[in-house]
Formats: sequence, C-alpha cells, structure tokens
Amino acid sequence: MADSISSTCNLGFLDTLSETSIHEIVESYSAFCAATETLLNGAGDLSVGPQLVSHVHRLCSHGLESLVRDHFLGALERTFEKDGASKFWRHFEAHDDVSIGEQVFYNALEEISLEKQYQEKCLLMLVHALQTYGGRRSRDSDDVSPELFAKYQLSVSSILMATLPRKFPDILNWYFKGRLEELSTIMAGDEPRGDEDEDDRDDMELDEKCRVSYRSGQMEIDECNPQGRFFDNNKLVNNIGRVVHDLRSLGFTSMTEDAYASAIFLFLKDKVHDLAGDDYRISVLESIKRWIQAVPLQFLHALLAYLGDSVSYESASSGLKSPLAKCPASFYPGIDTPSEGLVRWQLRLEYFAYETLQDLRIAKLFEIIVDYPDSSPAIEDLKQCLEYTGQHSKLVESFISALQYRLLTAGASTNDILHQYVSTIKALRTIDPAGVFLEAVGEPIRDYLRGRKDTIKCIVTMLTDGTGANSNVSGNTGDSLLEELNRDEESQENIAPEDDFHTDDKQAWINASRWEPDPVEADPLKGSRNRRKVDILGMIVGIIGSQDQLVNEYRVMLAEKLLNKSDYDIDSEIRTLELLKIHFGENSMQKCEIMLNDLIGSKRTNTNIKATIAQPSHTDAGGELGDNRVSMDILDATIISSNFWPPIQEESLNVPGPVDQLLSDYAKRFNEIKTPRKLLWKKNLGTVKLELQFEDREMQFMVAPLHAAIVMQFQDQKSWTSKDLAAAVGVPIDILNRRINFWISKGILAESLGEDTDDHVFTLMEGMIDTGKNTANDGNCEDLIVGDEEGESSVASVEDQLRKEMTVYEKFILGMLTNFGSMALDRIHNTLKMFCIADPTYDKTLQQLQSFLSGLVSEEKLELRDGMYFLKK
Amino acid sequence: MKVKILLFWWHAVAAWTWDAQDETCGICRMAFDGCCPDCKLPGDDCPLIWGACNHAFHLHCILKWVNSQTSQAHCPMCRREWQFKG
Ligand SMILES: [Zn+2]
Ligand SMILES: [Zn+2]
Ligand SMILES: [Zn+2]
Repeated sequence: MADSISSTCNLGFLDTLSETSIHEIVESYSAFCAATETLLNGAGDLSVGPQLVSHVHRLCSHGLESLVRDHFLGALERTFEKDGASKFWRHFEAHDDVSIGEQVFYNALEEISLEKQYQEKCLLMLVHALQTYGGRRSRDSDDVSPELFAKYQLSVSSILMATLPRKFPDILNWYFKGRLEELSTIMAGDEPRGDEDEDDRDDMELDEKCRVSYRSGQMEIDECNPQGRFFDNNKLVNNIGRVVHDLRSLGFTSMTEDAYASAIFLFLKDKVHDLAGDDYRISVLESIKRWIQAVPLQFLHALLAYLGDSVSYESASSGLKSPLAKCPASFYPGIDTPSEGLVRWQLRLEYFAYETLQDLRIAKLFEIIVDYPDSSPAIEDLKQCLEYTGQHSKLVESFISALQYRLLTAGASTNDILHQYVSTIKALRTIDPAGVFLEAVGEPIRDYLRGRKDTIKCIVTMLTDGTGANSNVSGNTGDSLLEELNRDEESQENIAPEDDFHTDDKQAWINASRWEPDPVEADPLKGSRNRRKVDILGMIVGIIGSQDQLVNEYRVMLAEKLLNKSDYDIDSEIRTLELLKIHFGENSMQKCEIMLNDLIGSKRTNTNIKATIAQPSHTDAGGELGDNRVSMDILDATIISSNFWPPIQEESLNVPGPVDQLLSDYAKRFNEIKTPRKLLWKKNLGTVKLELQFEDREMQFMVAPLHAAIVMQFQDQKSWTSKDLAAAVGVPIDILNRRINFWISKGILAESLGEDTDDHVFTLMEGMIDTGKNTANDGNCEDLIVGDEEGESSVASVEDQLRKEMTVYEKFILGMLTNFGSMALDRIHNTLKMFCIADPTYDKTLQQLQSFLSGLVSEEKLELRDGMYFLKK
Repeated sequence: MKVKILLFWWHAVAAWTWDAQDETCGICRMAFDGCCPDCKLPGDDCPLIWGACNHAFHLHCILKWVNSQTSQAHCPMCRREWQFKG
C-alpha cells in the first residue's frame, strides 16, 4: 500500500501538509479501511454505506482518490480469493471424476456468482461515492466506473485462472454434453408444433429490449432473460443459459465456448455416424440437416437468445444465409430471422456434418459402388457433400487405394473388374459429370486390365452379350451393356431441354453424346465443350486403346457364334450390330454386316436348293444310316463370303459317306443355281444333331461334325485303334485322341491300351449302366447333350491372327535390338512405322505391338526390364 | 450289341467362290470374292461377267469401263475388242 501512495502522490505536496491534516488523513484512512472491511465481509449488510461515502469524500479532499480506489480493489481481490474462488473450487475437489453431478455444479456456480454480484454492488457503492465528491467532478469529468469494473473483472478472472483445477474444462464439456443429450431426447419425442405463432410479437419485443439494454460484452448485469419460444418455461434451457452467462461473467468466456462447441461437434459426429449407418439405399443428408435444425441449432438459439445475441439485424444477415437454405423463412422452425451468430453456427455445423458424412461414405465407396445402382441415394448424398466441401481429391486418393487393395488383384476375375469399372463410371459420373476425377480413378483400372489377356474378349462379351453381361445387376438381366447405353442415350435425347438450347447447340449436344471414333486424333480445342460429358463406351474402349481392336474381337466372336448356329435365327445379332453401327460407324461394321447378310442369304439359298434338288427315288423319312442314302431333308448349310470373315480354322475331315454324298449333291445344285459360283465345303465346321439308339435307351447329342464322324464309325465296327480310326476319319492322330474324349466322358466309348503302347483302342460301351455317367439320361430321348467345344474354335483368334501378321516384323525387331541393345516400346513402334512402309506396311497399334512383344518375351526370345526390351541371352 | 445312329440334321458350312481363273478383278484390283468399290455386298449383288476373250471382271467395273470409252471398248487385260460372252 505504501508503494501506491508514493507512486500516486508527489512528495512536495506531503511537505505542505500540516500536523492536523496528517492526523485527519490517518484517521479517515483507518476509518475507511474499517468500513471497507465491514462492507465486504458484511454478508449483505450495506448499512455502513453512508459512512464509507463520507470517508471517501474526506480522503478525496486530500487528493487521495487513487489511494481509495487501490485499497478498495485490493480488499475486493483478497475477499474474492478467500470467499469466492477457493470455496468455488472446493465444490469440485470432492469428486475425482469429471461428472460431478448437475446440482453440485449449479450450486457452486450460483454461490460464486452471488458473491461476485455482492462485490459488484459494493464496488458500485464506491463508484457512487467517488462520483458524488463534488470538487473533483469539474476537473475530472471522466466516469471512473468502467475502469474500476474492468479492473475488478480482470482480478476475478486472474484469480480463477491462477487457481484453476486441470479438470475444469472437462467438467464444462461433460456438463454441456449431458444437456445436449437431454435436449436431443426431448426433441426426439417432441415434433415441431404450430401453436407458438401468437407469442411471436411478444418475444420480438423482448428480444429488442434485451439487445438495447445489453452493455459491454462480458458484463451484462441486466436481468433480461428472453427464452427461446420453444422452451418457454423450459428449465433446461434456462439453466444452460444461466450457466453460460455466469461462466462468462467469471471470465471463462472462451473456455465455455470451447466446451459447448466441442460438445456440439462431438455429438453431431456421433449423430452423423448413427444416421449414416451401412445402408446405402437411403439418403441421410436430409435427416442430418433436420437434426441439426432440431437439436444443436435450437440449443444455440436458446443460448444466444439468453445471452442477448439472438436477434438479427434484419437485412444485414441475409447475405450470410446458408447456401443450402432454400427457404430461409421456414428453415428455422419457430425462429423468424436467425441472427448472424446463429447463421454462422449453422454453416459451421453443416460443413462439419457434410465433411463427416463425406468421409464416412468415401471410406465405404468401394462397397457403395458394388451395390450401385441400389446405392444411388448414398452416391447422391456424397455428391452434395463434395459440392459443399470441395474435397474431391480425398475421394480420388482413398478410392484408388481401395481399388488397388480390393479389386486389382490376381484373385479378381476380369469380368468382375470390368463390371466394377462400369459401375464406378456410372456412379461417379453423378458426382463428377465432367469426368475429371473419374479419369484419375479409372486410370489404374485401365492400366491393370491392359495387362490381362482376356480383357478384350470380356469387354466384347459385356458389351454385346445379354446373357451374362449384367447378371449381377438386378432387374437388368438379358440386356447387353450396349443396349443399356443406347437406352440411356435415347432417354437423354428425349429429355433434352428445349428452352436452353439453340438448335445448333442441341445438335452438338446430341453429337457429343455419341462416341467419337478416335479421341486421340480429335482436335482437343474443337470439342472441349461437347466433351464435358462422361462417355461410358469411350471409357471402355479406352481400356483397349483402339476401336478397331474391339471391332475385330467382336467379329471373331460373331463368326464363332454364327458358324455354330443350327438355325438361321440372327435377330439378336442384327440388333447388336445396329447398336454397334451407331457407336462405331457403319464402315467399321461393314464386314460384320456382310457376315450377317450371309446368314440371311444362306437361309434363302438353302430353301431354294432343297426345294429344287432332284430327290432320289427312296422316300424314307429321317436320316437312318445303314442303307446307303440319307434324305436331303437333314442337310442345311451356311454359305459364307469367306473374304469378309475372319480366317477360318480348316481341318481335314472325312464325313460319313452318305453325308458326303449329300454335300456334293447340294454343291452341285448350288452351282446350277448360282453359276458360275461354286461351293467349297468346310467339312469340320457346323453342327450335327444325332441320336444313339441302344437296345435299352436312346440318347441325343448336338456335336461338331468331327464328333459325329467319330461315333458313326462305331456303327459297323465295335472297336477301333486310334491309328485306324484317325485314318478313317481323316484327321491327325493327336487331334483324334483329344476330341474323342468327348465320347469317353459321356460313357459312350471306352479307352484301353492296345498291343502297341502308343496305340489306344476305343470300344463302344455295351450298356451304359456301369459307367455311372448316365444318370440324367435314363432312356429319355428329350435329353439333349451338347458337345462342349472348349478350346476348339472354328475361327482363328485375334491373337493368332495378330501373331501371324506380326511375324514378318519379328526379324526386324530382333535386328534392331541387336544393334541398339535395348529399346522402349514406343521407340520400337516408331522405328517400325518409319522403316516398314512397304510390303507389308506396318499398321499396328502400340497395344498390338506390346501384345506381340509380350508373346516374344514369353517365348524367351526377348526380355523386358524397366520398360526396356532386350534380346534374351 | 449294335448301336443305331439316327441323324436329325447336319448343318454344314461352306464358302462360295467365283469359278474364275484369276482371283482379282483386273480393273479394280479387288478380289472377285469380294466386291467392286461401288458395292457393299459381294456375290449376287456384285456379279462377275466374262468377255468373249474369257477374261472376267466385276460387272460394275467393266460396265463403267465400257461406258468411259468413246469408241469401241477393249478388254483391259488383252486389248481385244470387248464382247460380253454370250
Ligand atoms: Zn472390279
Ligand atoms: Zn459392284
Ligand atoms: Zn480379255
């Protein structure tokens, strides 16, 4: 205290004081101190007030105003430390745990707040005394009260902060968490009602008053207590409001805010997890938003209202509306115009909720896409979240690593990978209509698929084959992907908005939705706007690298299918071809069209020939062998324009004599009708339906001509050595040995070792009973067994064709590598392009070259290290 | 024990070809079994025709050739006066 005297009074002034003055000062000062002491410890007794005022006036008259203030503040501080803070903390000490019990918390807070309120009243008394000291007023017009109250507030906060127990923030957190849960429970059982309308006016006025009487940030002493209209008489909200108010007034403003904010965010996070769940067939975003409205925003609204911070500044807040608030007026149930603070809170909460939901969905994106399109509600949610947060890159990273881990593994079938790829495209194009992120996500899948041998085949099957393509998509079985794409396209064309498009634009848009034949060569400037649409077919063709390869593969598969047809029914092939023409252009599909046309022509010619051929005299129905002729009725033929078909696998075959006779009669008739055209039979191709008649049963089979030729040899001779049988049927012995397995597996023939070790003996089984392989064929002739042609195809595969075509370059490539040591793929490609310009011109794609080179690697002619090809030493 | 075999059908495959000496048309250089540059479908839609000199061409090719000649047309192969083989 001596310090403060010397610092505030100048010593020269002390010298002029008379003996009596000194005496009076000392006397007044000790009386003032005593009065202060009495007042502060008086437990609400303010009766010393007038005395205090007169002591203060006397001391002021000696210029000791600052001494008065400092002493009084010091006394307040000491009293608060003793009666306020330490008592306050003692409430919490009793409990080791954070959850101290709501009532204890309220009691502690009420006690210290009362103490503080009392001290503030005392301070107000001092302020009054200082203000009423007339002599000073004219010179010192400043109001001392703000400064004094600020000092007091500061010492209150410092004392509490200095003695703060470590667990206090956790206690606050616990408290708010508990209240939020309580509120949530109330709201869950308490749907919005409409009976509050008439209270609106009153509350508005209350709010207005409240804002007007609001003084300085932390020190509102007013008793204004507007309740959120949803919680009139609601003890819960009043309690929360009072708690926050009291905590603020004790200087815990930011600690309190942190506590309820983190309680709200934690609670929101739990709620989002809770609502989101693992069911992707329902959208949860709306319920999350509704919940934010119903619980945390109501909580905050009530809180801010209690603290006098709820009313908006009318139009000022409209610029801060949540971008998601479509109709702001009805958005806050029961709140007319949200305050700026509330809107800001809403934005924070929604952002947090969106981010949380987004992270949840991204983590499960792989499963969601497996479930697509059933999971489209979850995709739609994710889309909205990402639009809000803009964190698409999170999706890309996370999904790519899920793909690497779950899909792009040796165990996954090419078909599964392709289907997931297509589902990914379909699902993500909702989120990313421009396809930017899709490009990044698709790249690893495409790269992986390029390394698989059966990729093209699977792609073509998926595109064109209705039976297997969509088997895992519910409700869509029977449709090829191509069919589905086409349907999508048609429906998109139909709903193209009329008003927004000029006719030119509209045409451009329709064109853009068609696949462009060669994206590599397309001018990137030209189509940039039109290309901003995800093109599924284009992304599928992108796996292969070129449309030609895809068409080629399709042609081989089509040929295989057509050559194994026993009728001329090609309706579904025609439909598929039409769709392919739409996407790949008529010219690319020209050869396929001729192939189909051959089938149509064959049907006509076949009817014509059989109607006009001179039938031999005998008229037995059916084709019973044994006598030397068979009826022409059993023969049908597919006549192909072989120049337009893929290379046909030709194998020699001696068909049974009577059939051979039919073939030459047929060819002769063809030559008569179509002269000067003639037929060349591909005797190993086609299908044969026959019935084996045993004594006790009949069995029907649909088989290749070779199988038919083999089994028919057993009609007259029960047992054959493989050598003799191969000669009779006219095929090499290894082919015979391989193909005859079909009849052995069906239990029709038995194989045994002959006298010669490399010669086998095949014998017709007497009865079928002991083979155990005939359970399904107990004499029922309707049972038809179809010869499985696994690994036996009528048409040379695309790889075989390519290998044949590329062989001419093999020497050249090996020569280059001898000279250069090692070369990368594109360098080999470019060199071939540069030097092989004639006979035959090098016209292969990079992918074709790569596939050929990997063949050379597997033949151990080349080696591939770090992207460079070497000669194998 | 004997097995009897009944054939229900035999669906065979054949390729057609023009019964001509050469493989390609001397005018358009395309295969006879293909079609001329103006046609899309081979066979009946783009037939061959023989001249008196026994040279064959796509009908459409030789017709174009004959029509392009101002005077009497000659066979593009042997230069003999062109006559359709009767
Ligand atoms: Zn020609
Ligand atoms: Zn023609
Ligand atoms: Zn001639």
